[in-house]
Amino acid sequence: MDVVERANAERQRKWVKDQKVGEGAYAVVYRGRERSTGRKIAIKKIKVGQFKDGLDMSAIREVKYLRELKHQNVIDLLDVFSSKQNLNLVLEFLDTDLEQVIKDRSLVFLPADIKAWMAMTFRGLEFCHRNWILHRDLKPNNLLISADGQLKLADFGLARDFADPGYKMTCQVITRWYRPPELLFGCRYYSSAVDIWSVGCIFAELMLRTPYLPGETDMDQLKTIFRALGTPTEDDWPGHTKLPDYVPVGQFPKTPLRDLFTAASADALNLLTRCLAYDPKKRINAKDALHHPYFFAMPYPSHHSKLPKPAQKESNIPLEEVDGNVDFSGVGPGVKANPPNRLKRKFSSDEIGGETRSIARKLDFGQKGS
Amino acid sequence: MTSRGWLRGTTVRKGGASSSSNTTRNSTPQIQSTSTTVFGGGVKDPSGRTSEYFSMDDQCPVCKSDRYLNPKLRLLVSACYHKMCESCIDRLFTLGPAPCPICNKTLRKLAFTPQTFEDLDVEKEVAVRRRIAKDFNKRQEDFADNRAYNDYLEEVEDIAFNLINGIDIPQTEARIAQYKIENAAIIEDNLRKEEQYAQYLKEHEEAERLEREQRAEELRKLEEAERLEREQGRQELIDKLETSDKDVKKLIARSRAEAAKRVAARTSSSLQRNTPGFLRSRPTRSTAIPDVPHVPIQDDWYAYEDKFTLRKDYDDPVSEAVRRDREGIMRAGGYTIEEAWERALRFAVAGLDLQPLQGLQSQISPADQDAAMASA
Repeated sequence: MDVVERANAERQRKWVKDQKVGEGAYAVVYRGRERSTGRKIAIKKIKVGQFKDGLDMSAIREVKYLRELKHQNVIDLLDVFSSKQNLNLVLEFLDTDLEQVIKDRSLVFLPADIKAWMAMTFRGLEFCHRNWILHRDLKPNNLLISADGQLKLADFGLARDFADPGYKMTCQVITRWYRPPELLFGCRYYSSAVDIWSVGCIFAELMLRTPYLPGETDMDQLKTIFRALGTPTEDDWPGHTKLPDYVPVGQFPKTPLRDLFTAASADALNLLTRCLAYDPKKRINAKDALHHPYFFAMPYPSHHSKLPKPAQKESNIPLEEVDGNVDFSGVGPGVKANPPNRLKRKFSSDEIGGETRSIARKLDFGQKGS
Repeated sequence: MTSRGWLRGTTVRKGGASSSSNTTRNSTPQIQSTSTTVFGGGVKDPSGRTSEYFSMDDQCPVCKSDRYLNPKLRLLVSACYHKMCESCIDRLFTLGPAPCPICNKTLRKLAFTPQTFEDLDVEKEVAVRRRIAKDFNKRQEDFADNRAYNDYLEEVEDIAFNLINGIDIPQTEARIAQYKIENAAIIEDNLRKEEQYAQYLKEHEEAERLEREQRAEELRKLEEAERLEREQGRQELIDKLETSDKDVKKLIARSRAEAAKRVAARTSSSLQRNTPGFLRSRPTRSTAIPDVPHVPIQDDWYAYEDKFTLRKDYDDPVSEAVRRDREGIMRAGGYTIEEAWERALRFAVAGLDLQPLQGLQSQISPADQDAAMASA
C-alpha cells in the first residue's frame, strides 16, 4: 500500500455507508453517517467504469467546484475518496427538495415563505457568481432543503466557471423548462444571466405551484416563452436575431404578468419581470436581486425553521435525499434517477393482481363485446 | 375518499345541443347520449352539463404519467371500472377491441366514460342504477296495494345489488329481459309521463329565471336612482356653499351626515360577513421564532474592490477575437469582456495580504501520516 492508497483508506474509514437511496445516470446515492459522530451524510458513488475516457466530466466538475464553495446555501462536500473503481463524494445530508415542497398540495405557501426561499436561492447563487461559477442546472429539484429549512444549491454536474476570455461554452445546458432564450437560440458566449432566468422560472413556479414555462421540445420552449412574455423586439433584446440558431417563432403579444399572477405583490412582479428580461444585460444580477425592494417589503421573509415542509411520507421511499441528481418522481424533465422501488415504470405485480400480463394489444376476435 | 386531495370539479359541456328525447328528472341523473362524442357517458347535472372528477393527484395507473407532468391529463373510466389516461386509451384501443391492461377484459375505445365521482364504486353503482331505472320505472299508482309495491321495490334493489356486485349476472340479466317483455306497455306509458313531467319542470324553471331577471333589473334601477341622488346632494352642497353665507363647516357636516345615513340604510340590508381565514392552519410554533428583516448577504463579503481599479480598456491579445466580434454574437448573449478582466484582476490581488503557510512541509510528509495512522 503506498501513501496515497493509505490516505484514501483512512478517509474511507471515516464514513459508514448505509442503504441505497437512489440511482442516477452516472451515480448511485447512499445514505450514511460519520463513524465518529454519527452525523447523517450522503455518499454519492460515481460509476467510473462506464466511461471510456476515465471520469465523467460532470463528476470532475462537481468535485472541482464543490471543493471550493462553502456557503450556507450551497450543499457542502465533506470528503472525497475512492473505492475500487469508483469515486465517492461525501455530501451533506438533506431532507427534501423544493420540487417535493411545490408538489405537496397539502402545504400552503405564504408570500413570506416564497420570499424566504427566493432569498436563500439568490444568496447561494450570488455566492457562486461572486466566485465566478455558473450553476447551469437550476430547477426546484436541485434546490435541496435541510432539516432546519435552509435551502441549498446542489448538483454542480453542469457547473462551469465563467468570464474566461474567448472560450466557447455549450448551449446544451439547463433543464429545458428553465433554460433562457439566449441558450435556446444557440448562443455560445453567455454570462451569469442564464442562472437568473432559471431562478425567475422557479420564482414563478413557487407562486403558481406548477411549472411556469413547460415546453415540450426546444422549439416549443421558445414558443412557450414568447406566448407567456411576448415575442421580443429588437428594442427589448438588441442583436438577438444574429444569434447562431435564431429562427423566428411567430409573433405573440405581450400580456401583463398581473393577469396570471393575480395575487402577487407589485414588488414581486417587478423582480420577476427583471429576472425574465429577454436581454441578458438587462436581466438583474444576483447581488442586485438581493437588494431588491421585494425582499425588504412586508411581510418579512419567513424564518427558515418555519417554512412548510412535506410530511414524512408513509411510503418506503426515503425522502432523505441528498443530491439533485436523484429524482424520486422518476419522470419529468431532466430525469436522472429513480428510487429503487420506483424503477419500473410498467406495472408492478401488486397493481395487476399478481399475474403477469402483456400490455400489448391482443387481437381477440373470438369474444367481442362484453 | 380518504385522501384529502386538491379537488376541483370541472364542468364540460359535451355533445352539443341536447336531444329532446333526453329526459331530465331532478332526482335521477340521466345518461348522456353517446352518439356525438368519442367518450360519452358521465353524469349530467340538472343544467345539462357533465361534471368530471378532477384531482391534482391524478395519475394514470397504466403509464404513470401525472398531472404535474401533463397538465392536460384526463383520466377516463373503462367498462370494467379501471382508470387510464386518454393517450393510453388511444395507444391501446385505436386498432380495435383489446384487453384491459389491468383486468384483461376486452374493451373498446368508445366505451370509456368520463369520471364523475372520486370513488369508482360509486361511479359503477350510479351507472347500474341509471340503467335499471330506465326499465323499472313503475310508480306506486301502478300497483294494487302497498304490499305489491314494496315487493317490486325489493326486487329492483335485488337486481341492482346483483349487478353492482357481480352476482349471478346471467340470471339477473334474464330477469330484466323477462320483466321488460311482460311490462312493455307500462314502461312505455311511464316514460311518456316522465317526459311530460320534465317538460313541466323546464317551463317552471324558465318562469323562475324570468322573475329573477326582473328582480335584478329593479335592483339596478334602484342603484342608479341612488347614485343620482348622491350626485344631486353634492351639487346642492356646492350651490349652497356658493350662494349662502352660512357657516361652511356646518353645511359640510350636515351634508356628510345625510350621506352617512343613506349609506347605513343601504349596507344594513345587504351586510355580508367576511369569510374567516381558514388557511391559517400553520403550526403553533410559528409565532415562537419571529421573522427578521431581510439581510441581503449574510456571509462576510469582501471582493478586494479596494485593491484594484478596472480600466476602460486593456491590451489583451487573448480576447482580441472575442472583442472584435462583440457587436455580433457576444452582445445578445450577455457576455462582456470586462467581466473577464475583472475576474483576472481580482484573482491577481486576492492573496496579497495572506500570510504564507507555516509548517506545511511537516504536515504532509508521509512519515507523519504513517504515524498518525498507526495511532488511530
